[in-house]
Amino acid sequence: MTSLDQSVADFDAATGWAAKPEGMCKGDMCVPAPDAVSAGRVDLVAIADRLGMALVGDDTRGLWSLGPESGGKALTTAVVPNLELPDLEGNPFKLSSLHGRKVLLVAWASW
Amino acid sequence: MWQALYEELEPKGVTVVTVALDIDPEKARRWIETAAPTHPSLIDSQHRIDELLGISNVPMAVWIDESGTLVRPAEAAAIKVSALRSIEITDDFGESLKRVLTEVKAMPDTGDAYRAAIVDWAEKGSDSEFALEPHEVIARSRPRPKEHSEAAACFAMGCHLFETEGKDAAIEWWKRAHALYPENWTYKRQAWTLESTPDGEASDLSQEVEAVYGTSWIDSVLELGGGANYAVVPDL
Repeated sequence: MTSLDQSVADFDAATGWAAKPEGMCKGDMCVPAPDAVSAGRVDLVAIADRLGMALVGDDTRGLWSLGPESGGKALTTAVVPNLELPDLEGNPFKLSSLHGRKVLLVAWASW
Repeated sequence: MWQALYEELEPKGVTVVTVALDIDPEKARRWIETAAPTHPSLIDSQHRIDELLGISNVPMAVWIDESGTLVRPAEAAAIKVSALRSIEITDDFGESLKRVLTEVKAMPDTGDAYRAAIVDWAEKGSDSEFALEPHEVIARSRPRPKEHSEAAACFAMGCHLFETEGKDAAIEWWKRAHALYPENWTYKRQAWTLESTPDGEASDLSQEVEAVYGTSWIDSVLELGGGANYAVVPDL
């Protein structure tokens, strides 16, 4: 990221945390964060502090990178986040398109 | 392997989705084209499912029910016994290979039990003893201290720089990620393979990358307690 201020839509797409009236929410978990969201924008420094997200910067390149929420377990909620990934040919696939079926999601790699 | 399981489980309502954690999708191509999957076969070049689902090694899997809720957290997903386990270690082998095979044999052999659990869940759904309640899924997922969040941020920065400037710009950020979260093997093996596997060749599994990363796969395994600690063993 090149800015410490993001739209709520971009923030949701990147992290799975959505701005709702009750606060920032991921699945069925909500955390009040009145100081981090205003006018459809998310203040990354404030939200990182609120959710235990690491924020690292590369000053010479003007780049920032935000880690996931921390301080508890790897999973904050059992609700699967919106996930869209491409296939080998670049066609996007939404995991949510498999609603109604059981899914065994397996991570593997060539290495 | 996953294609065969998919064909067995598809009539029982289970879709297998494989996700390749490969920053260079072309490296995954030969494997995917050989397997010729008819199930969704996706590429996660940024390792996003590490932070989103708690993946930290391969193969690992999560189970998702019909409503889009996890019923098992990320855990080792071997579904058959590795052929490497049955190799008899003899004096003919070099020291390096002996060390690797010794630790591979020390890894817990959970393939048959895990496969049987998947089939049980396919047949019984939420009545399966292996399908967990949401609070159990969360409780059984791995701890995530702040260091792991920072590791994810550093790994992602490295991936971005790999894309925009090339591998050399990524190395320092990936080293930071490795130091912050040494038990995440996807961060390490992804970075190391770019040093140890020549273009166009099959993956170098021993990953002797002392020159750039000051370690190798086997040295790193031994530092973290050996093969017995290598996988997130399913608690079945």
